[in-house]
Amino acid sequence: MNVAKLLEKRRTDWSELEQLCEAMELRGRTDSLGAKHRGARGITRFASLYRAACADLALADAYQLPPNTVTYLHRLVARAHNQLYRTQSASPVGWFRILFEEAPQRIFNDGCVRVATIVFFGLFAMAMIMGAAEDQFPLFAENVCGSEMLKKTEASFLEPLNVAPQEYSARAAFYISHNTGIGLQCFAWGILLVPCLYTLAYNAVVLGATFGYMSRDGIDGADHFFEFVTAHGPFELTAIALSAAGGMRLGLGLFQTHGLSRVDSMRQAGRDAVPVMAASAAMFVLAAFTEGFLSPSSAPYLVKVAWSITSSSLITLYFVVLGFPRQGSTDRSLVRTARYSDLVQSRETEAGRSAGAT
Amino acid sequence: MAAAAPLDTTIGVITPENIAFEYQLAGPFRRLPAYLIDFAVRWFVVIAVWLALAIAGGLMSFLSSFSGPLSQAFFMIGIFAINWFYGTIFEAYFNGRTIGKWMCGIRVIQVDGRPITPRSALLRNLLRVADLAPAASLSMFDPELPPQLVIPSGIVGLVTMMMTQRMQRMGDLAAGTMVIVDERKWQLPVAKVDDARVPALASFIPGDYLITRKMARTLATYAERRHFMTPPRRREVARKLTDPLIERFEFRKDIDPDLLLYSLYYKTFLADSATESPDLGPLSGYSPLAKDADKVGGLADETIREMAQSVPVVTDPAATVETVSEAKE
Repeated sequence: MNVAKLLEKRRTDWSELEQLCEAMELRGRTDSLGAKHRGARGITRFASLYRAACADLALADAYQLPPNTVTYLHRLVARAHNQLYRTQSASPVGWFRILFEEAPQRIFNDGCVRVATIVFFGLFAMAMIMGAAEDQFPLFAENVCGSEMLKKTEASFLEPLNVAPQEYSARAAFYISHNTGIGLQCFAWGILLVPCLYTLAYNAVVLGATFGYMSRDGIDGADHFFEFVTAHGPFELTAIALSAAGGMRLGLGLFQTHGLSRVDSMRQAGRDAVPVMAASAAMFVLAAFTEGFLSPSSAPYLVKVAWSITSSSLITLYFVVLGFPRQGSTDRSLVRTARYSDLVQSRETEAGRSAGAT
Repeated sequence: MAAAAPLDTTIGVITPENIAFEYQLAGPFRRLPAYLIDFAVRWFVVIAVWLALAIAGGLMSFLSSFSGPLSQAFFMIGIFAINWFYGTIFEAYFNGRTIGKWMCGIRVIQVDGRPITPRSALLRNLLRVADLAPAASLSMFDPELPPQLVIPSGIVGLVTMMMTQRMQRMGDLAAGTMVIVDERKWQLPVAKVDDARVPALASFIPGDYLITRKMARTLATYAERRHFMTPPRRREVARKLTDPLIERFEFRKDIDPDLLLYSLYYKTFLADSATESPDLGPLSGYSPLAKDADKVGGLADETIREMAQSVPVVTDPAATVETVSEAKE
């Protein structure tokens, strides 16, 4: 019953745990406290002290400890808990699994990817047709992009593509930071759904209108323009659609709950969206390297077309072959579901087996 | 739960050891300074890298014509990585803290109390863009300024923080994380009783009086806060509780309520359960009981109080409770 004596007895342990926590917070190890706490011995000591503090906290009510002491114990346990259960750092293997195992599976199964792809490429094609058809839709492309912008684009492709090789790395870096940034932003806006769709549609229409304008008759830089966009087109356009798809998955989690509570549904959607976004970011980087090193170079058009075909087939392989639903990989849940008939059957066979045994 | 839960920012966590403990949530006013510090650190690093590359580039330009664009490339990728992945990398490798969070004493953890995973860290940091929306253009306030200058207002994040139980912003909701106060220093307070009258009075409290849990908590809180109050205020606070107790214990009506509560505290928390009678010294032979009122003295007597104060072990009554902190030693 004497709390003062009890506290006096436990206080040495508590302050030792505190010192261990302090050492672990600073260095991540307990060595600095002296020879007694070096290496494995320190960790064992920490674990037993932590368990003792947990037990004290659990019994605080029974001991009728003063509230101040209980608060102290709460903080001590929380602090030790934070050191005991530290963040598992991301391993390269983990990211490899996310990129090559989880992402294609998600992309293959995700309805948002289909919607985003249809919205993006549909609007892109529509804008391109409208931009190209000068007679039916005069001034469409000019109204969308602004005629100044179009003239600038046209002027920049007047010369044959021949950028000095030392400029490649800077260009690639610019495309990485600029385009991937737009993709990440599009993904982040997805949680509010409308800005994400707006970004996607805006990019589709502007790109489509530019393409349409350049494909009109009598545009001087058209050949060079299409030569430029051929190589990195597949990666970049897919990446835009994918980042928006990841964002839409996030935003839909708020509405389409699948019977979960809204907060849990958002968490689930967040977990599902990360691999899609990671795949999209990887594609943006690949596209940026292509755009920086291959597209502006004076390499023959055949090489660029070949790379374009290769990258398209790589994307297809990634989506279809790696993404085709496989047994066991999509369902990681520990709770297995089984049909009733299966259960009955297995019971019957088991009963038969045991009957045969006797 | 919702009706009975206190209006507070503490959140319970149950550990794998099946121990429940509490965290205090960090609200916008703790998180904003952390964000601003992080912002400053980010730009400081960018400028430092730029300076370093400029110096290195100046040296290298004698050697090769590639170095200029190359250092430019590294710089651009560096800015991109710092701006987008600063928080992710720090939270994933620094146990849920960035530099700003570390300085403000807050930490990100999963809502179930486990440490943050790299995936959650990535998600919650990417979604900061949406949380800072909508951006307010500076040209709204001054038409002279170009409309490109915008400041993020962060209304989306603020509104979601106010509407969720764990004060999570959008990114926290999607990543399943929360920000908690991570106090590094605290002290273990123990109240000491130095007043000789307290054990004396405690020995007169009847043995069959059982102190309930609620009463014990009240007594502990009272003893911890007692020394913040003046003696008349102490009496005023204590009287509400002690009036029925004086009736019950059959004590004299004029007994000091503060002293009675304090001796109850002593009996509950500090006295040995072994029934050894305390060493009363000069106070022996006095009784607070109402039936002994006609005898000489009693604890409420002025003469006795003076006597008690003349005993060398007794310190000034205003400072009888001392919060002793020896947690660090």
